[in-house]
Amino acid sequence: MIALLWVLEAVLLGCLLVYRWTDLARCEPAWAGWLLLFGAGAAGGIGLTSCLFFVFGVLLGSHTAALVVELLLLAWSAYEAYRHRARADKAASETQPPVAVLWIAGGLVLALGLATAASSTAWEFNPQGNWDAWAIWNLRAKFLASPADLAPRAWSPALGAITHAEYPLLVSGFVARAWSAGNSLSAAVPQSTSYVFFVALLALVAGGVTVLRGRTLGLLAALALAAAPPLLREVPTQYADVPLAAYIAAALLFSLLDRPVLAGISAAFAAWTKDEGFLFLILFVAGIAVFRRRSILAALAGAAPVGLLGVAFKFLLARGNDSQVTTSLPGAGHRIVDAGRYATTLAAFGREFIGMASGWYHPILPLIVLAVALHFDRERRRDATFCGTILGFQLLGYFGIYIVTFHDLVWQLQTSLSRLLVQVWPALVLAAFVSFRAPEAAAILTRVPQPKARRKARA
Amino acid sequence: MARDREQVRYPARIVAGIVAAIVLCVWGAFQSYGSETEYQRQSADPYQIAAQFVRLAPVLAAIPENTVLGYVTDVEPASTTDSALLLSAQYVLAPRLLTRGGKHDWVLGNFTRPADFVAFGKSRGLRLQQDCGNGVVLYRREQQP
Repeated sequence: MIALLWVLEAVLLGCLLVYRWTDLARCEPAWAGWLLLFGAGAAGGIGLTSCLFFVFGVLLGSHTAALVVELLLLAWSAYEAYRHRARADKAASETQPPVAVLWIAGGLVLALGLATAASSTAWEFNPQGNWDAWAIWNLRAKFLASPADLAPRAWSPALGAITHAEYPLLVSGFVARAWSAGNSLSAAVPQSTSYVFFVALLALVAGGVTVLRGRTLGLLAALALAAAPPLLREVPTQYADVPLAAYIAAALLFSLLDRPVLAGISAAFAAWTKDEGFLFLILFVAGIAVFRRRSILAALAGAAPVGLLGVAFKFLLARGNDSQVTTSLPGAGHRIVDAGRYATTLAAFGREFIGMASGWYHPILPLIVLAVALHFDRERRRDATFCGTILGFQLLGYFGIYIVTFHDLVWQLQTSLSRLLVQVWPALVLAAFVSFRAPEAAAILTRVPQPKARRKARA
Repeated sequence: MARDREQVRYPARIVAGIVAAIVLCVWGAFQSYGSETEYQRQSADPYQIAAQFVRLAPVLAAIPENTVLGYVTDVEPASTTDSALLLSAQYVLAPRLLTRGGKHDWVLGNFTRPADFVAFGKSRGLRLQQDCGNGVVLYRREQQP
């Protein structure tokens, strides 16, 4: 229970920092701003406290120092947030009433309730999560939570021979921090961590799309994600794919909202979450350089601290471990020219995309319906191109890794491709909703004469 | 002074599209809930991780946290069972570190079938230190003469 309080403390710290140092809480409408603040605060707080634990608790060897730094930061940010609290002095802006917003909100609450119930069933029957949870992520959290002289075993080449000791440490570090602070290896910590990332992802998308495109599309986007079967399957696994999906979506969203520092921080957290996040960080910086050049310095400044931590880990601490890329280099030439591998990989992409369905429901269906009903907004073409290009290259990168991998291709595709699609699906949904024409723009205004006015008109 | 009231309407195509999207998503949420809960019930703890905590409890009690243990087993190498047994044992025993083979001072024997564990160890230069039951055995490396 105490370990769980440390999960909540990280979320609180993140929310206070975002409240104090950004203007997200002042976004209109107010509830969307608060959702954005919660989403950025939860994902950011988890990332920040994980990094603090890694630097102070693991590298400098004092778990206590990591917690003291964190608590001081919490106290200071609470004081600062109080001093700079926002005043409710803005009048609500005049907008057209949204379409069926109560129905969408009701559907969203229902979908979130069902997702929570499904997750709690998984926690009951598989409290340790799926294979990678106990074989990679939580295993390394156990090493990191142990006394400082044993923590480097989390990236030891001896461990690397049986699992992926070279993987980045955001999720494992955060779980280790809560385990260490709570003095308990409770399974509730990794369970709640996955769930918090899921809720943060929904909050980010709902709030962000609302601010960008209006309430109807914002809530519909969150509803489409809350009902997406592959995403719901991944939440209780305790893997790092849902956290990565949240950071990828956050980075793109904050770019669209013209908050490049937050976008850079999110992209760097993605890199510190999984190897695929490193690919995203590179593509994200390239995308910003091409499409949003004036934001590049701010985005780089946001990404630098955590990005450098990730690079230092990879090239200094975990260099004794072979990565997927380095192990695949020998013989890669033969595999690149093997046309059969392209056909196998392409077929698997198609199969996994179809496999995102649950029964007859496929998460692409609501997007198709909305595309037909609403059409696309030409003025948003640049935003859609920005997101689509980065995500397209991200998928292309995944495709390329499959082509060159030295592992058995069919096994590799079967065990990982569905999760790779989950990593980019929320960002693809975000890109789609940002490019839809807002229904409020199609409102037809008619003037209905009041009874008195009608009588006067007759006279 | 009475003023005209503004009424907002939306084209039927848009309202129908939004309603259809809501219905589809809610349907999807129920579908996901049903399939996910069914799957979890049918595949509860497929690698028996909870059982490993019980099997390996004597090793946890006997071996200090900073130990690096060797690892021997009767399971076919590189099979799924082999990986599952080794990784789940590693998860339970962390921060103790497991490495395949019998080179270390302490060696964990992780067996799936009854056997002559003394003879199994002896053939690898290992002396049986503790039979913990449930196929879990602790060996010590024989001192070289």
